[in-house]
Amino acid sequence: MEEKMALLDAEVGKTYTVKEINTDDDDMNAFLFRLGCYTGEPITLVSKKKKSCIAVIKDGRYNLDNILSEAIIVG
Amino acid sequence: MRIAFAGNPNSGKTTMYNALTGRSEKVGNWGGVTVGSKEFKLKKEYAGNKEVIAVDLPGAYSMSPFTPEEGITSEYVRTANPDAIVNIVDATNLSRSLFFTTQLLELGIPVVVALNKTDINEKEGTKIDTAKLSAKLNCPVFETVSTENKGLSEMIATAISLAGTLQEAPYLQADIDLHDKNAVDAEDRKRYDFVNKIVAAVEKRKVLSAESTAQDKVDTVLTNPIAGILAFAAVMWFVFWVSQAWLGPLVADWLVGWIEMFQEWVAGQLENSPAILSALLADGIVGGVGAVVGFLPLVMVMYFLIALLEDCGYMARVSAVMDPIFKRVGLSGKSVIPVVIGTGCGIPAIMACRTIRDERERRATTMLTTFIPCGAKIPVIALFAGAFFNGAGWVSTVSYFLGLALIFLGALMIKGITGYKYRKSFFIMELPKWKAPSLKFAFKSMMERAKAYIIKAATIILICNTVVQVMQTFDWHFQVVEEGAENTSILASIASPFAILLIPLGFGVWQLAAAAITGFIAKENVVGTLAVVYALTNFIDVEELEMTGGANTVAMTMGLTSVTALAYLFFNLYTPPCFAAIGAMNSEMKSRGWLWGAIGLQMATGYTIAFLVNQFGTLITEGHFAAGFVPGAIAVACFVIAIIMIGKRVRAHFDEQYELHKKTKAAVTTAA
Repeated sequence: MEEKMALLDAEVGKTYTVKEINTDDDDMNAFLFRLGCYTGEPITLVSKKKKSCIAVIKDGRYNLDNILSEAIIVG
Repeated sequence: MRIAFAGNPNSGKTTMYNALTGRSEKVGNWGGVTVGSKEFKLKKEYAGNKEVIAVDLPGAYSMSPFTPEEGITSEYVRTANPDAIVNIVDATNLSRSLFFTTQLLELGIPVVVALNKTDINEKEGTKIDTAKLSAKLNCPVFETVSTENKGLSEMIATAISLAGTLQEAPYLQADIDLHDKNAVDAEDRKRYDFVNKIVAAVEKRKVLSAESTAQDKVDTVLTNPIAGILAFAAVMWFVFWVSQAWLGPLVADWLVGWIEMFQEWVAGQLENSPAILSALLADGIVGGVGAVVGFLPLVMVMYFLIALLEDCGYMARVSAVMDPIFKRVGLSGKSVIPVVIGTGCGIPAIMACRTIRDERERRATTMLTTFIPCGAKIPVIALFAGAFFNGAGWVSTVSYFLGLALIFLGALMIKGITGYKYRKSFFIMELPKWKAPSLKFAFKSMMERAKAYIIKAATIILICNTVVQVMQTFDWHFQVVEEGAENTSILASIASPFAILLIPLGFGVWQLAAAAITGFIAKENVVGTLAVVYALTNFIDVEELEMTGGANTVAMTMGLTSVTALAYLFFNLYTPPCFAAIGAMNSEMKSRGWLWGAIGLQMATGYTIAFLVNQFGTLITEGHFAAGFVPGAIAVACFVIAIIMIGKRVRAHFDEQYELHKKTKAAVTTAA
């Protein structure tokens, strides 16, 4: 069985697939979608800290805070 | 004919717009610099004989808006019927950008795609087959580099020639119920699948996006909570030091020499005219305006350096590293951008708050951002640092850091007053690729500012100084005030009542009160008015004054101690900004209550800080409290009580709303 985890717990440098996004905010979910962050899409961590991380979504790099990076479930 | 410029944030729309129209709208290497639409006609070389208006729109990721600025864009292209759309596509992020492109192509308006930033692709070895892309999208595609004016004339000529034709869409959204969330989601997914297929067919990358690069290593350090904040502090300290302690004053020294020569020349020309005229012209107008213009180099150097910071991509990193701290006090990482812009001018800073999504965070940032001393306050800081503290650099450093501290404290207070509302504050910020800042661009931005500063000095400040000069020369019977009877002048009698309020702060004389009041028209006026009321011009070359006068003339004339001077400086820095900035606050906050709250808070803060500095400073230096301790303490206590009362009322109102909501809910349940 494939392991699912929050983006913040993922390994740096490894490419994962987005499994679930639930920010409890429909507008935010839709916004992430438009950036190319939705289930089935690849996502890679470039670096992570305690409260934030930098992730590659499509061809862009984004800084995400802990609330968002815990709402994005990857596997 | 109108051509709209639309595309993702930070794709280079405004840079292209500036190149095509010759304007100099604000640009920067982060998403969300443009917060409203702007229009201007194209240069003749691009438009030919036609009258073509270019419309620059805020960046948007799609037609369904997430932030208010995105809404402006989708609303415009949908309802304003532009004759053509130039869709600026960030060529380094084709896979994301084309989502919006395919939506624009559905509108029926002819679209021309400008594949921008192709220079970066060349460097990274990414190849995009433009002919194939054009065929797949069913619209012309041009490679452009807007920072170098490359490919623009062909692209815009095509857009002009296509105006009025009908665009055929390569992809049409199925007829679905737009209220059905799942159906919309499914359609958006299909659109992305369509885009992904195009990208796979036209793009070849040498460096995969997910690979870690040298830039990522830099970003990892700069967004680290400790190293990143230290780096930010160091960068800002360097900016202030160069502009206000090293290069700025160096140039200013030289400029002031010229201004003095000019003033002497004017005085010489007026030798045979009535004394009153010479006083008005030479001392009042040339002296007062000259005192303000003398500080211009400091402001220019500052603008140059801030422009470099905005251009290289650092702002997004600062915003990212500061987010956790700002969140703790109830603001957002995006609040940092207004704060940094605010070191230049408060008005664009207040406007930059628009990109903050949460209303409370946005209003709080708008309210607090002007605590950071703006460019117009630099002359005031430099004057006091020079005259009272021997030009010490710490005065300016303390002014900025105290401003930052006040933002934090103010934010905490607003959080307390508005009640803790549970709302997740998300932070996501694109980190754009680093770019070598353009010296040409920074120079242009600096000259723009210099022009605005000189115009301001020649209009508002000139008028204010003239009025001040006239008001202090005459009394209410329009008789020239005699020497020794200065207190009978119009200015003195108007400013004196205000001066009484300032006694607890240590500067209760009408001259200083008048200068602080004129400061609300424009903060440079503080310097101009002081120059006029004390008949001083040379504020910068204090060393020379010391040599000639044997003592620090400026400090002596004003009769302030270093403690009261500092109190007066802080009072001018942290009371409300100029009227223009208050106007900007009004239009951004869209709420009377918040606006008056902001003005009241700023007034109370300036007063309290000056009171504390004066009273405790005097206690330390002289061993006793300064005059007016008790009335001042009562005033400060009133502020505190007022804030507590407002907080109680706001929270009670909030609870009431919540209560009501609960009642209706209960009623609904019972009915069911």
